[in-house]
Amino acid sequence: MSKKLLSSAAAICFAGALPAMACDAPIKVGVLHSLSGTMAISETTLKDTMEMLVEQQNENGGVLGCQLEAVVVDPASDWPLFAEKARELLTVHEVDVIFGNWTSVSRKSVLPVIEELNGLLFYPVQYEGEESSKNVFYTGAAPNQQAIPATDYFLEELGVEKFALLGTDYVYPRTTNNILESYLQDKGIAEEDIFVNYTPFGHSDWSKIVADVVALGADGKKVGVISTINGDANVGFYKELAAAGVSADDIPVVAFSVGEEELAGLDTTNLVGHLAAWNYFQSAESDANEGWVEAWKARMGEERVTNDPMEAHYIGFNMWVNAATEAGTTDVDAVRTAMYGQEFPNLTGGTAVMLPNHHLAKPVLIGEIQEDGQFDIISQTAEVPGDAWTDFLPESAVLVSDWKELGCGMFNTETETCVQIKSNY
Amino acid sequence: MIRVFAVLIGILLALPSVAQDEKAPIQQLMQAHGDSLAKPSRKTIQPTIDALVESGLSEVQTVLEKWQNKEVWRNKETGLFVFAEEIDRKTIRIFDVADGSDLGTVDDKSFRQLKPNSGVRGLIAAALVKFQLLDPEVGARQTALDAIARDPKQTHLAALRDVKEGETDANVKARMTRLERLLTIEFGDSDEERIAAIEHFQGDLGVDVRAALNPLLRVNRSFADTPPDGEGVVRLLTVGEDISRQEAYALLVQDGLAPALISSEARRETLVANIDDGMVAGIPVSSLGTDAARASAYDALVASGIAEETVSAAQQQAILDSYTFYETYTAAPPPVALAAAAALSSIENKVAISQAADLGLDAVSLASIYFLAAIGLAITFGVMGVINMAHGEFIMMGAYTGYVVQLFVPDHTLSIILAIPLAFMVTFSAGVAMERLVVRWLYHRPLETLLATFGVSIALQQIAKNIFGTQARPLTAPGWLDGSWVINDVISISYIRIAIFVLAILFLALFLFVMNRTRLGLEVRAVTQNPRMAASMGINPDKINMLTFGFGSGIAGIAGVAIGLYAKVTSEMGADYIVQSFMTVVVGGVGSIWGTLLGASMVGTLQKGIEWLNPSNTLAAQTYMILFIILFIQFRPRGIIALKGRAAEA
Repeated sequence: MSKKLLSSAAAICFAGALPAMACDAPIKVGVLHSLSGTMAISETTLKDTMEMLVEQQNENGGVLGCQLEAVVVDPASDWPLFAEKARELLTVHEVDVIFGNWTSVSRKSVLPVIEELNGLLFYPVQYEGEESSKNVFYTGAAPNQQAIPATDYFLEELGVEKFALLGTDYVYPRTTNNILESYLQDKGIAEEDIFVNYTPFGHSDWSKIVADVVALGADGKKVGVISTINGDANVGFYKELAAAGVSADDIPVVAFSVGEEELAGLDTTNLVGHLAAWNYFQSAESDANEGWVEAWKARMGEERVTNDPMEAHYIGFNMWVNAATEAGTTDVDAVRTAMYGQEFPNLTGGTAVMLPNHHLAKPVLIGEIQEDGQFDIISQTAEVPGDAWTDFLPESAVLVSDWKELGCGMFNTETETCVQIKSNY
Repeated sequence: MIRVFAVLIGILLALPSVAQDEKAPIQQLMQAHGDSLAKPSRKTIQPTIDALVESGLSEVQTVLEKWQNKEVWRNKETGLFVFAEEIDRKTIRIFDVADGSDLGTVDDKSFRQLKPNSGVRGLIAAALVKFQLLDPEVGARQTALDAIARDPKQTHLAALRDVKEGETDANVKARMTRLERLLTIEFGDSDEERIAAIEHFQGDLGVDVRAALNPLLRVNRSFADTPPDGEGVVRLLTVGEDISRQEAYALLVQDGLAPALISSEARRETLVANIDDGMVAGIPVSSLGTDAARASAYDALVASGIAEETVSAAQQQAILDSYTFYETYTAAPPPVALAAAAALSSIENKVAISQAADLGLDAVSLASIYFLAAIGLAITFGVMGVINMAHGEFIMMGAYTGYVVQLFVPDHTLSIILAIPLAFMVTFSAGVAMERLVVRWLYHRPLETLLATFGVSIALQQIAKNIFGTQARPLTAPGWLDGSWVINDVISISYIRIAIFVLAILFLALFLFVMNRTRLGLEVRAVTQNPRMAASMGINPDKINMLTFGFGSGIAGIAGVAIGLYAKVTSEMGADYIVQSFMTVVVGGVGSIWGTLLGASMVGTLQKGIEWLNPSNTLAAQTYMILFIILFIQFRPRGIIALKGRAAEA
């Protein structure tokens, strides 16, 4: 009975695939996002996104004549468990590609595993840069695609002269703020005009910090806040800002980790006019985006919103599909080579291009928070190529990443040598 | 041919039903500045705004206001500007910019909305001031004053002076007077006028005053060969103390009054270039480890004429000695700057006192939050001795109850009033259920209780995640709790925190009342001191334990509503408070509500105090606090208020 079933299934597969292609098993796509623990708040959405993308692709005939199968594992917001689960995906389930991770610390824990087993990871979240792995495609923003343009916007358009850099205490805010501090000093902002503060995850007592920020204005300079506050600590922060009567016209706040999803947990009436910088907003006007939002709402419910990391997965997944089709196989090395120069229309109307440094060229958008929890896009740049190694820290300004020509992710342009191939830094 | 026809039809369809007045002067003017209007940048837009305002056209005010509110759209093909209001995502109703006549409803595809950013909107607001100051509506005049306060311009001073006398509204007038003075400080014509304005602000705490005064005190370092005199000099600088020797010398080098020094890097390079067989000028390289050694090697090179001559330390000193260094005010004439300095020093003391008071208020507020979070635990852990790790989850359940109530009762005031008793009931039942099912089997086995309740807490968190999702949920405070109680520009506290403080006091009273004045309280005390004796007096210890545990859990639920109002409602919020709650109870002294109160005050004050010392790292502040508390427990293991006698042993 079961034999018969199998053979008929195989026959269907044969019939479905074009004659040249034999499909003996579905292509496995690993999904490595936390479904429990602190990061579940953000990562569950990405798991749903991946399942939706895989389903859509299967309706369109799959890849290379095979159906795709999403293999979902739960690393439970436990950083070492990410490494375990990545190993499980690659050795037990033998997936061809992994889409996953949110926090930088989880990515760092996965790196050695996928480099050892030559896996392929698509990382969809904006991050601090200073890294380039042969086996990772970074589809989120590097600092020069989010933090630097947003800071420029503060300097040029809002005339901010004094900066408060508020962040949650972990690797992403600390690295980003280091880069920004050095960038601001290059731009002629004095060291004493930069106020830095770090708070723990989930911090809720913001009154003192908000008072400190307001007091910064006492010397007659315009104050702006650059927020790398992550997760639910934002709720208390914005509530305290509103209670202190700080309007966006007096002290604007630009956030790098607050998107549509996070605003859903907030009463936004008092936040109108504060800013966020991303490569995508749900309110972007393009036909592709309308279709995407519609499909998402139809699947998940009318009240659900889309956000930037979702778009990153959307671009990453489609590029992978195209690269695999081009390469004619899902073999990691072949797909990786085919990835370079892949172009795919992004949801905001332009085209994303995969660069040899494993980053995307994407436009930078700045949006103002509106009463309905959506963003009004007030500034959109042309596509900015992502830069793995920032030009604003002296030790990394000399480094470039080029896996296509140089075959090296950490190439020192001064000494013309490859510093190292593995990303164990 | 067909294609041309199709395009023509397309254009005809796109055209609105009523023709737009293309020749109207305002439309013409806007067209002349079309591109900068459509893509404005704060740095380049000012000429355009000026041109609009100076045209003197009557429509300018409306155009600027609509533009500021993002209600101006531009036809992508013809480039004509219209006013528009959005009907839904796809359609807009458009109006002529010249006379506001309705041009019909159209698809928004062929129009592009102009979106000035907030920097540009600020400039528009500044330009609108001259219209709005004369507006009959108070609100519009207030808007104008807001714009002036944010972005003061010289022209505003004259405008304010013109309208100030005629102002009828007392509030607006007071604000106008204040703004007029602030602007006088910056832009006043004569020194006397500016000094008079500055003197008005003696001891004023406003951030705006300090923002106006501080820039006047900017100083510049200069030097002269004779000691300077006159008012322009802020102070003389002593080289080596107020200004470093390098900086002073660099000032002289800048003006060409002293020979440039050779940097240590250049010196090193010269030395390296002259290495000859392991020797530099006869000195072995290996002995060049110190700065002095390198200097003497360099001197040897100079002596043999190989290297450029350098300036010796003695020569530097001699040059420096021949000049006097001093600071001068650069931003204002000296009398004005001196007046500003005097006003600021009168303000400074007040600011310091106010900051201390503000910190004190923050500390009290944090203490009341900790107290509220801990008071339930003071009952279950303090009185009954049950280590309840799920206490935080009862707080979370209370907060979610508040959220659910708000889903059904949209009125925020009513919903909070309903949520408080409901949260008590929900968590009371949960507490009773937990006591019956888990805790009562484990009395006097603290380790098992700890593990079992910890397990329950994880289960409750996951249940909350499954029901409510992982995203933070809004629990919105009633409108009358929005905003802050502002005493002055430094001291302020949000109303929601005051409400939590009041709630904490109410709970203290409730706790004291229940424990000391009711039958239940008497029985609870009896059971905790000696259950067997209490049982033989006719008290059912089982029932009392159950009720006490429920009571403590219920109070945690109400605390959850309060905490949700000021922070956030997530499945993990309980975990944020469990450590602080235990700390509060243990530091205060187990078993005493006054101890819990003192413990909360101590933890709150300490945290704020350390935050004040170390403002850039809140996380470090918490670490130091925990270290301090560990030390404290070493010296007072039973907490601030230690129970004595038999009650302590129970």
